[in-house]
This record gives sequence, C-alpha cells and structure tokens, in this order.
Amino acid sequence: MLVTWRYRKRKSIIQWFDPRAWLIFYACFLACTLLFWDVRYLAVFGVVSLAILLSSGIRLMEMRRPLMFIALFGIFYSGLTFLTGRGGMEVYQSEHLITRLAAGFTLFGWQPVINVTLEKAFFSLGIFLRVFSLASMTILIPYSLNPAQYGIIFRGLGMPDKIAYAMDLTMRFIPTFGRDFMMTMDAQRARGYELENLRGGLINQVRKMAPLIVPVTIHAIIGSEDIIDAMDLRAFGVGPRVWLEQLHYKRRDIALIVFGILLFFVCGGLSMFGFGKFWVPL
Amino acid sequence: MGHTPAVFIENLSFRYRDRQELAIRDISFQIMPGELLLLAGASGCGKTTLIRCINGLIPRSYKGEISGRILLHDQDTSKFTLARISQIVGTVLQDPERQILGTRVMNEVAFGLENLALSRDEITERINESLDYLGIKHLRDRETFNLSGGEKQKVALAGVLAMHPSILLLDEPLASLDPASAQEALRLIRQLTDQGMTVLMVEHRVEDVFKINPDCVLFMEQGQIRYLGTMDGLSKVVNYHEIKLPAPLILERAASDPPPQSIQFQPAIGSPKPLVQFEEVSFGYEAGSTVLKGISLAINRGDVIAVLGANGAGKTTLVKHAIGLLKPKAGRVLVEGKDTRHISVAQVAKTLGYVFQSPSHMLFAPTVYEELAFGPTNLRHDPEAIRKEVQEAIDIVNLTGREKDPPLALSFGQQKRVSIAAILAMQSRILVMDEPTAGQDYRNYMEFMDAILQLPNFEAILFITHDIDLAVIYANRVLLVDNGQVVADGRPEEVLRDLDLLSATRLVPTSLLKLNLERVETTGRFLRAEALAHIQ
Repeated sequence: MLVTWRYRKRKSIIQWFDPRAWLIFYACFLACTLLFWDVRYLAVFGVVSLAILLSSGIRLMEMRRPLMFIALFGIFYSGLTFLTGRGGMEVYQSEHLITRLAAGFTLFGWQPVINVTLEKAFFSLGIFLRVFSLASMTILIPYSLNPAQYGIIFRGLGMPDKIAYAMDLTMRFIPTFGRDFMMTMDAQRARGYELENLRGGLINQVRKMAPLIVPVTIHAIIGSEDIIDAMDLRAFGVGPRVWLEQLHYKRRDIALIVFGILLFFVCGGLSMFGFGKFWVPL
Repeated sequence: MGHTPAVFIENLSFRYRDRQELAIRDISFQIMPGELLLLAGASGCGKTTLIRCINGLIPRSYKGEISGRILLHDQDTSKFTLARISQIVGTVLQDPERQILGTRVMNEVAFGLENLALSRDEITERINESLDYLGIKHLRDRETFNLSGGEKQKVALAGVLAMHPSILLLDEPLASLDPASAQEALRLIRQLTDQGMTVLMVEHRVEDVFKINPDCVLFMEQGQIRYLGTMDGLSKVVNYHEIKLPAPLILERAASDPPPQSIQFQPAIGSPKPLVQFEEVSFGYEAGSTVLKGISLAINRGDVIAVLGANGAGKTTLVKHAIGLLKPKAGRVLVEGKDTRHISVAQVAKTLGYVFQSPSHMLFAPTVYEELAFGPTNLRHDPEAIRKEVQEAIDIVNLTGREKDPPLALSFGQQKRVSIAAILAMQSRILVMDEPTAGQDYRNYMEFMDAILQLPNFEAILFITHDIDLAVIYANRVLLVDNGQVVADGRPEEVLRDLDLLSATRLVPTSLLKLNLERVETTGRFLRAEALAHIQ
C-alpha cells in the first residue's frame, strides 16, 4: 500500500497559498537562485528560504533527518570545493592568495599544500548558499502539500489526467520505497545479515547488497502491478476523468504567481546585464 | 433478469502467455442473481485466474490464450472494455492494501466514479451512500493507511460498491482479518446477496463461510472443477484434510479413519533459565503514542506459544522487541540474559529465528537452495552443516525437488514456505512465526506445522495468528494481547475457556474450540477434531 509523507495542516506561509501557486513560485525561486554566483545576491535567497523554513510550522524534530542530510551535503560539497577549487575556474580567472597551508608531513616526498584564496572561499560559500536555498525550499514541499490533493494539483498545473495521476503516485512512491527498504532491512537483519560488516571491493560490496536491493526492487515491481490492476478494475484511463476535489485560486495566490514570474524576469534581466556574477570583496 | 444467470461460464480455459500448461481447463458453471458462490481449492489451483477471467483482467492485462464463453447477465463480455465490465463486476482483491489507491477514504471511494466522469454531485451522493451502507461514514475523512485491517477491507469494498456493480468478486476477503472483523465481513456479504447482489467469493476459511450458507460451492483442483454443488455435498466429496470443515463434520468423518498420530513438541535440550524475558516493556512508534504498555513475560524452554489478538493490538510490535528490531522506550528485553539494547539483531538471530509475515520482503537469491543457505552462512555455520540444515528445511516445508527454482518465481504460498524454511535452516533455539498460515491452503499449513513441532531443534516456538484453531491444536500456552497489554497468559484450556474475554479481544470461538470445551473434562487438554473422534 502506498504511504505518504507526513503531512499536517499547519498555520504557515506556505499553506496559506494554493499549492499550485506555491509550486509556480517555488519553480521561479529555484530558477532565480541558479542565475547568480554573487554571494550577496545568494545571501538574500538564503535568508528568504530560511525565513520560509522557520515559518513553515514544521517542528525541527520532524525535519531533523532531511535537515541533517542537507547540512552534511552542503558542508561536504562546499568543503570539497574549497579544498580543491573544483568548478571554480569556470567563474573566475585569477585568484588572490590569503594564506598557504602546508601539511607538516610528506607522502613519498610530496608535501600536501592548500592555497587558501579569496576566490575559492567565496565560491564555496556561494555553493553552500545555493544548496541551502534550493534544498530547504524543496524539503518543505512533501511536508506541506496535502497528499489527498497531489493529483488535482498537477492536473491544475495543466498536466493531462494520466500524467497528473502518475505524478500523484510518484510522490507517494518515495516514502513507500523508504518503508519497504526498512522492512527488508529488518527481515534480513533477522537472518544475521549485517550491512555494517560488508567487506571487499566496491563491486563485491554492491553484490553483497543484493539481499536488500533485490527484494525492494521486486516488491516495487509487484506493487506497481497491483496498482495497475486496481486502477484498471475501476475504469482508470478510459476517458477524461472528473476530479472530486477542486482547488480555487484566491487573490493572494494570483499575487504570489505574479510575484514569482516578475521575480524570474527581473533576475533574468539582471543576470543578462551582468549583475550577480561571481564577486569577491577586494 | 431474474431468470438469466448473472454469471454464465462455458468451457473456459486459459493459458498464461509465458506458461506451457493451462491455468484453468474446461470450467463451466453459472450463478443466478442474488446467489453466493464459494470458490475453494488449494493454492495455485486456478481460483485467481478464474476471477481474472470474469473481471476482464484476463486477457486485457494478463495476456495468454483464452477459449470458452463468459456471459454476464446474458451479455458476452469478450468485446467489452474493462471500464464497461467494471460497472457490472466489482472486484475486491485478497489484500485490501493492494487495492486502496486513495490517501483518504473519501478519495478512495471516489476513484472509480471519477474515472467514469460522473458529476461531482453524483459522486458525493454515491460516496455517502456506500459509506452509509457499510456503516463507516465516520471514516470518510480518515487517512487510508492509518485504518485497521477490517476498516481497510470495508473501504475497499465501499470503493467497489459505489460503482453499483451487480456482481461482486471477492478474493479471500477474510485473509487478513481478525476473527471478529471476519464475522462482520461475512454478515455484510450475506446482506449484500440477500439484497440481490451476486457474489463469488474465493476463500480458504471454508468453515467460516459455512456460517452464512452459500448457495453453491465450487471446489477446484489443478485448474479443473472437482466439485460443484451444495455445501452439504462438499463435505462428502472432499477429504477433510484438504479443506477446513466444521469440527462436528470432521468428527463424523474421522471416526471411521484410523486415529491420527499424536504430535507432541519435544524441546531441544537447553538451560532451564528463560530464553527471552520482557521486563515492564513499554514502546510507542511516535512520541506520545503507546503501542506496548508495561509488558512482563518470559519465554521458557518447552513453550509453544500462540499470540492471539485483534488487528493492531500490538502482537507484531511485541515480537519485534524479542529479536531486537525494536528497542523498548521503557523496561528491557533480555535474550539469554543479554539486554537487546547491547547486542545486534544478528547476535539475537542465533537464539531467535523470526519468520516475517510477508515473504516478498526477504526473498532475493537465484535459487531456493541459496536462499536457505543465506541465514546459516551469515551465522557462520560450517558448509557441511549448512547443506544438511538446508535439505532438512526444504523437506519440512514440502519443497523437495525445488532446490534450484528461483524463489521469486514461485506462487505466494510456496514463497511463504521458503521464507519459513529459510529461518528453519538457521537452527535458532526459538522459532518465531508471524501469521505462518496466511495465504496458505489448509493441507499445506497443517502439514508444515505438524512437521515443525516434531523437529528436535527448537527449545521453544512462538507464532502470531488470527486462527484460534491453530492455538487449540498446537499451542501449550496462549498470550492474549489487547491494546498493547497481555491480558491473559496461560494454558489454552484456561485462557480460551473465558468466552467473555475472547469476545472483548475480538476473537470468536470456533466449532473446534467449542467441541474441545465440551470435552476438556474428559480429555484433559485440547485436541484436533480427528483425535477427538476417537475419544469416547
């Protein structure tokens, strides 16, 4: 059976709007964030997304896992960028050295050295702000959209019936997959299987993951077949369907959509005229 | 319409595209409007295939070669679309969890009506009508995944009834229900037929269906009809080892047969100390919720424990604590004296082998042999011992000759037996099974339960079940779980005689239990009906 994300009706900015209006605004916000590298611009997006996150009414305990993942991913990704300078040379040409950190040891005669430059520092900060803004806006979606409305939301965004219902099922597939994975993990642990004890090379380790991967995959396939049968038996897809629930835009929703689209065009214009490019304080 | 059959089937045969043999062969029968037909037979005999032919999934979704005629209210459905058939035939699948698509009850019931593009007013009217009819209007705005097993079953039925079919196909509607919910479902089915609905019901629990007097019984064997007629005739034609008949009938028939072999659990040699001990264990999945409330008990050498209770009473949660998959929020669980908080699940698995309810969550290996060798290999048994353990387990669950078959290609019943064998092969000291008989036919599960109890390997056995007769026949101790607490713990003869307590915990006395209660003064203990037949 498909399960859903943990949704609750809350008093929050995000739930004050029609979910379709919020998704359109979210898409515009995402696109705008990706237009800039200037940390001053990105800081604005970061602050906005933090404010939305904090006003979402979702308790920290509920979100602790995804938040932890975002934090670790953001720190790892920006840290790696800082240490290696990867990707940076596409947005800056020269570097200003702040300090040179040399390891107090050598490896086969080679001394590891990190050149800390202003460009590397600001580029990795930019990466962190981008990841933070995008991820924190994204994790709000499953917690804030009513699962009973997934289908009608996507239908309301102009998708055909079949695609809208497929999107509905997809949104619910992810938490269902997570539940099935945990059940399989429990069943195999009860047979003495210990994931933490996997040994050997990468291929060997992947092979040893089969007791988890195979049942979860097969279960997902069987589950999909059951869903198809259940849908077929109740005349799904024979023609245009009626959606019992209806969503109605209010003025504030229209205002949010207009604001989102305007924001996108303004940011696009700024970006086209050279604003918001990579910046370091010199 | 009253004189034409609701369902008329003539010389129906079907072969799945990727199979060589026919799944059903030369099936002919008819059901009149307002009749209830019980379709019985062993796992894999073709019952589900027949249902799929009637509801149109065959050949539209499941491809293959079909021959013969299917008429619904005198109309040949071979050219009908599934949508058209679905307005005549409603199908409730075996597991309501597989059928429910909506996140809320209202969405679920509306699904078919939305697909038929009815007006919103009519959809709302039909939703209310269906929910009202089934007495579940209060569930209208509830989330479907939070419903109990019985509630899910009713919601799935409401979604089908809302489409106003005249024929209802029910595929093992009682399989996942506790006894009280099963009784309610049966009453509802009788009520539907009394009001003119034609019902075809597949069910292993034949004894339960007897209570609502089906008009006709069709017994299938290897894809063919072996018996078609009244309920009375069935017990004369079919062996009482093949299907579960009411105990008085078995008593009558078994009296002329030789007495059955007495099956006594002989525990393996071990220490007299408790194998598992629960000390004031409390647990909740979320903050503020309590699923287990201060449970204290011990599993000792020689115990054959049946854990009984309603859907959602906390039985599985209790057992998951014993293997360490869940850790108590308060109190502690000791396995051979060690706190489960301080040892891994793999370490507990050496003591306690746990067969999960659903086999599909664990089967992965390319062959049955490798599947069964997985557990003992993880527990680092030596290769020679593994070979012996695997072979023994295969023989017990009656899968000899299937060693090289891929487990995932087997039927559900066979997969369930592989999952039990996989744990048997681990040679743990305690065997724990969660609903071992679910989805199994009577003969198969009685055979492997008999075999398991005669194994010399285990010091104790525990099983969770909705089947009171399993407790009557096999257990020497019953734990009655209700609302997260153990409300009774003792010998079956003591616990199961308290009919008020059974009723309060949604258990319904079976004919076998009643018969045993009448004779327990003479017998001293509960026995299977075949054995009672030989006691004066």
